[in-house]
Amino acid sequence: MSTPLTARILEEHANAAAALPPAGPTAARRRTAIAALTASGLPTSRDENWKYANLRPLERLRFIPATATPALAATDLPAAIPGFARYVFVDGAFAPALSAPLDSTAAAVTPLAAAPDAGQASAAMAVQTPAPGAPADERFALLNEAFATDGAAIRVAAHSGEPVRLELVFVASADALTGASYPRVELQLDSQAHLLLIERHVSAGPHASFVNSAVTVDLGCGATLHHYRLQELAARAIVFDTLSAVVGRDACYRLHGISIGAQSARSTLAVRLAGERADLTLAVVALGERQQVQDTYARVEHAAPRARTEQVFRGISAGRARVAFNGKVVVGSEAHGTDSRQSLRGLLAGPEAEIDVRPQLEIYTDEVRCSHGATAGKLDENMLFYLLSRGLEPEVAQRLLKWAFLEDVVARIGVAELRRQIEERLAQQLPEPAARAEST
Amino acid sequence: MTASRTPLLAINGLHVTVEGKQILNGLTLQVRAGEVHAIMGPNGSGKSTLAHVLAGRPGYQITAGTVSYEGRDLLALAPEERARQGVFLGFQYPVEIPGVNNVYLLKAAVNAVRKQRGLPEVDAFEFLGLVRDKMKLMHIEDSFLSRGVNEGFSGGEKKRNEVLQMLVLEPRLAILDETDSGLDIDALKVVAAGVNSQRSPERACVLVTHYQRLLEYVVPDIVHVLVRGRIARSGDRTLALELERRGYDWVSGEAA
Repeated sequence: MSTPLTARILEEHANAAAALPPAGPTAARRRTAIAALTASGLPTSRDENWKYANLRPLERLRFIPATATPALAATDLPAAIPGFARYVFVDGAFAPALSAPLDSTAAAVTPLAAAPDAGQASAAMAVQTPAPGAPADERFALLNEAFATDGAAIRVAAHSGEPVRLELVFVASADALTGASYPRVELQLDSQAHLLLIERHVSAGPHASFVNSAVTVDLGCGATLHHYRLQELAARAIVFDTLSAVVGRDACYRLHGISIGAQSARSTLAVRLAGERADLTLAVVALGERQQVQDTYARVEHAAPRARTEQVFRGISAGRARVAFNGKVVVGSEAHGTDSRQSLRGLLAGPEAEIDVRPQLEIYTDEVRCSHGATAGKLDENMLFYLLSRGLEPEVAQRLLKWAFLEDVVARIGVAELRRQIEERLAQQLPEPAARAEST
Repeated sequence: MTASRTPLLAINGLHVTVEGKQILNGLTLQVRAGEVHAIMGPNGSGKSTLAHVLAGRPGYQITAGTVSYEGRDLLALAPEERARQGVFLGFQYPVEIPGVNNVYLLKAAVNAVRKQRGLPEVDAFEFLGLVRDKMKLMHIEDSFLSRGVNEGFSGGEKKRNEVLQMLVLEPRLAILDETDSGLDIDALKVVAAGVNSQRSPERACVLVTHYQRLLEYVVPDIVHVLVRGRIARSGDRTLALELERRGYDWVSGEAA
């Protein structure tokens, strides 16, 4: 499938190929990825699962990776989270001077540029043929694989005691006119491993960066991963993000996504519950204002018996923003005893704002318990009047209710300092402090 | 009975429609500081409409009549302004607001009143002490403070919470809309104790109720019977007892 866009990607790739280091995803893998991408093409807004995404910026973006690394100081980054090792990547490239490596024998974090083969086994997952019947929604990961020069290969071994604590900070600094940023994470948890992972995407400066991130997650039997993903890029940034995960038997994956920044953000989350009793919680918060587009597509595939999914989405759309969440759960013929719940809620905070929440269920077996609820609406008039009748200003009451709308998802963030930072960031957009902490 | 000459609340010829339907039909009522009034009436007589209109709930069209509070036009004020001027509505169906905790709402409400009066924000520590004292009176557990507003509360807990809010806010005019409905006898006594603790020559209370049961514990100065949107009869507390004995048809028939 050759379109002007794929032709241009191919051309930029050919021009860049000589300059791209042989390390990272190896040259051979890059070639495979670009070939696959050229064959399938990137999604268009005619694709069912891409109709809410903003794909127009692709026409004017450059795909070649940014190379000029700016001088950043630790103070340009979000405050460190106590107890968490930190790895910083600037425009996709590892920045050792800004990092505070892990002091643990249970886990290894290897910059992909330094160890080309480190994460190859799990990285291959991203290019696996999607399950039959599933549209190829993970094609932006091919774009990442074709151009990425660096990234983090993480392997956590089985261990006892405290979970491994790790923070990855991806900083976008280049303007899209000079080059793109390709954050890449290849994560593998061995059987019984336990990891708390914070993955942050931030900007250095106000540039209109183009970020295309790809994350692969492989959870072995009985492994536990708490994964906090924060997208807080600058207001003019464009981001396409693809996460592909496979969850093994008795493994537990808690995925928390907070999407606040960027002009236009699309996140594709594809999780396959491959082992019996795999357990997934997928909780996403997205805020849009101005003309922001915040689009998430989550596809959860139950491919083994007695697995459990909980999908929770809370989105607020203000100004002329569009906030969308399309959550699909596919229960395969072998997945009897599936327990799947979806609670998707959108809040319209302005007459010109747009909310699209869409739960989808495809069930190919009996003996399953699947529930879904989806609502999109304005603030509850009864709640609003109750607060006004207690003397609160209308603006205060509205902010309070917006905050309350997000609260049950934000409260699930188990890392106290991270939760504090997220609440602070949310409060900038909903500028009324929630006084939950003032209780007893 | 302490009564000043100017009524705290004066309602004159109030006509209200809801979605084109006439609900209040020339209601006239005066409440003086220090008084407790009970407004009784059959279902659909306009009791709750009256309570909501006084609190400023949207959705009611006032087609005629006036309401003055402390000598000023109450209907010209926004709901939050009424609250800050000392008007309190105890809801018949208190709203659950998960994610907003009780103590936050109480504090925000108290500070809204204080700001209106030019006072600084309440001291957090003293405030908590005050709230705890009132909670004891209302038989409300400590864990209540950090819970969401009315979240997962039973019917009785919600009503006790309404009275707690009233006790903390110390309104000049409290309008309690069927605060007694759905309460068992123990909860009713607790609610009544809360209401009685707030009686003073400075304040007034309007109890909207369907049954006279609450009035055994909160003895009203005046009882009104509302029929088809206007006061059909007023009297002392014996009127409530007579109503109980003879039923609303007795007054409805007379008013027809």
